[in-house]
Amino acid sequence: MEVISMIVNDEFGVMQRVMGEFTRKKINVETIVVGKCEIVGKARIVLSVKERKQAEQAVERLGRLQDVVQVEIVDETRHEAYALVANSFGKARLIGSLEEVGSLIDTTKPDRFVKTVNAL
Amino acid sequence: MRGSEVLINVLRDEGVNVVFGYPGGAMLPLYDDLRCADVRHILVRHEQCAAHMADGFARVLKRPGVCMATSGAGATNLVTGIATAFLDSSPVIALTGQVPTGIIGNDAFQEADIFSLMIPITKHNFRIMNSATLSNDLRSAFSIAMTGRYGPVQVDLPRDILTCDVSSPIEGRKIPTNGTREDLTELPQAVQLLESAERPLILVGGGAVWSGCGPNIIQLAEMIASPVATTLMGKSAVSEDHPLVLGMVGMHGRRVANYALEECDVLLAIGTRFSDRMIGEPASCRTKVIHIDIDTGELGKNVRPTVALGGDAGRVIRTIISTIRSKKGGAWTERMSLLKKECACNLDLPDNPIKPQKVIYELSKHLPDDAIVTTEVGQCQMFAAHYFEATGKRQFITPGGLGTMGFGLPAAIGAKVAAPDRCVVDVAGDGSLLMVCQEMATAVEEDIPVFICLLNNGRLGMIRQLQNQFYGKRLFAEDLGSSPDFVKLAEAFGVRSARAKDPKDLESVIEEGITSDRPFLADVWIDREEEVLPMTMRAESGTRVIAGKCAWKGVC
Ligand SMILES: Cc1ncc(C[n+]2csc(CCOP(=O)(O)OP(=O)(O)O)c2C)c(N)n1
Ligand SMILES: [Mg+2]
Repeated sequence: MEVISMIVNDEFGVMQRVMGEFTRKKINVETIVVGKCEIVGKARIVLSVKERKQAEQAVERLGRLQDVVQVEIVDETRHEAYALVANSFGKARLIGSLEEVGSLIDTTKPDRFVKTVNAL
Repeated sequence: MRGSEVLINVLRDEGVNVVFGYPGGAMLPLYDDLRCADVRHILVRHEQCAAHMADGFARVLKRPGVCMATSGAGATNLVTGIATAFLDSSPVIALTGQVPTGIIGNDAFQEADIFSLMIPITKHNFRIMNSATLSNDLRSAFSIAMTGRYGPVQVDLPRDILTCDVSSPIEGRKIPTNGTREDLTELPQAVQLLESAERPLILVGGGAVWSGCGPNIIQLAEMIASPVATTLMGKSAVSEDHPLVLGMVGMHGRRVANYALEECDVLLAIGTRFSDRMIGEPASCRTKVIHIDIDTGELGKNVRPTVALGGDAGRVIRTIISTIRSKKGGAWTERMSLLKKECACNLDLPDNPIKPQKVIYELSKHLPDDAIVTTEVGQCQMFAAHYFEATGKRQFITPGGLGTMGFGLPAAIGAKVAAPDRCVVDVAGDGSLLMVCQEMATAVEEDIPVFICLLNNGRLGMIRQLQNQFYGKRLFAEDLGSSPDFVKLAEAFGVRSARAKDPKDLESVIEEGITSDRPFLADVWIDREEEVLPMTMRAESGTRVIAGKCAWKGVC
């Protein structure tokens, strides 16, 4: 799992531009988190892909986009996994390393869940 | 000031004195102001051609060409032309009409989401949603198109933005980001590799044409006694009559150039993206590569370089020149110049029907030293690329990346507008020309005397060749028959025309085309069976050549 983090102009169409580069390079995006960030008018996109080579290809392409201010591959120590899980008793939040969240989901077997990776 | 006036002011400030366009409802506010503006509007007959014209214009002047189309179908018609400009890194500005901001997304009359459609085929694009940003975004469009690796930029203009009053414009131009970082940290390694090379080869791509650094490249080649080859897009960056210049590499390239590519020990690749039609399978490239590109994303994309240098081709080459030691040519240089002579075959062919090679030969012989040749796509294009002698200040313009049939005529018109004093010839195929023949009307009405040299084989010749070579001669959907009569067609448009069926008529028809002060079409009936050979297919497992009549013995 490789995590790419970027700061982008918070404008309409920016997601389409960013995702378009993954489509062009036929790379599946495994997880994605997007949100406002500390810089006014900018947003941070954190997404993950399976392989290093894909991440490198994507970073090269993303660096050419006018609306991408900054883009980097984030090393593992800065990764953070989240999951929202639910079963008949209600819902719960899981936070931790990728392995921790992964194994919690494996052992608790929630009915439904969504899992993603963030990084700073 | 109305939005449309703001736009015209930006065009003026950016030095735009001609635009290629076609009106429609959404653009009428702009056209109303364009009527009395100091900008020449060339009314095309199909929007795709407006984009190709702007592209041809840009390739000649190395500054933005501007095209415009109305919302919906007008804008979608631009797509092929913009995609062509994108793949060949041409700075085209596309202005498209759009329905008013208030009804965008409602499937209004003539609404298309052209903003989304253009994203993957432009360097960047804008949809103006606030008139205050109009002037600023337009200026940004021009600077983005011309910064780093050039490329097309589209600006979507909702109708109300053109009509409303722009009182307080927001300034602060978007700073172009281009994936271009000048990075010369590996320059010493590059110099060292070149100095120690026994069999160097300089490979010149389209980037060198845009950078206009042909003379620098020749200077470097002479200093290190290196032969020079070009890609399809690099053709005409360096004069092909220079003794070190071997000609074009690639699938339809020259044997001697491909041979040099195979045999060299150090390859200095300048502004080329190692496309599959040039290098074949990237793994077939086993030499040490020094790769210079203004777009650092190209470095290692297809072929992994030993040394990578990011930056403008001209700047990097001049830096190399300032530090490298000159050296004398040895066995390699001598052998290459010998092989070059062996590779030059006689094209003055007397055959009847006329051989396409002979047509190109006559063009090379008669065209002025600064002529511009554009091409369509197919055999016609490859005959021109392989055989045309791009000597002196001649320029060769071809849709290398997208392979767009129908590019040549409009690009020639755009080129002629950019350089009215130069002779401009479109080397056309009959299939390609029919896709855009309506632009003959534009050439006539706007008095743009281009010369269409039609290699008429009544076929989609390249399709036929591929079916012959790779599909067991199972010919299908390649015969165009004998319609139309191109001489009559040209005359219907008011274009002067003459036919050459017999080789003895050829020279005079071509001379007439070159000297004509009106648009001219030479309908040359060529040998329908002639194939563009040799064809070279480079693969990891080895190189395969379909030689045809090519008698080159260089490899032994
Ligand atoms: C717009 C477009 N459609 C289809 C093709 C595929 N194609 C490549 S060459 C060719 C035949 C071109 O015929 P013509 O213009 O007569 O040139 P010739 O090969 O006969 O010289 C075709 C159909 C293309 N390159 N562009
Ligand atoms: Mg043909």
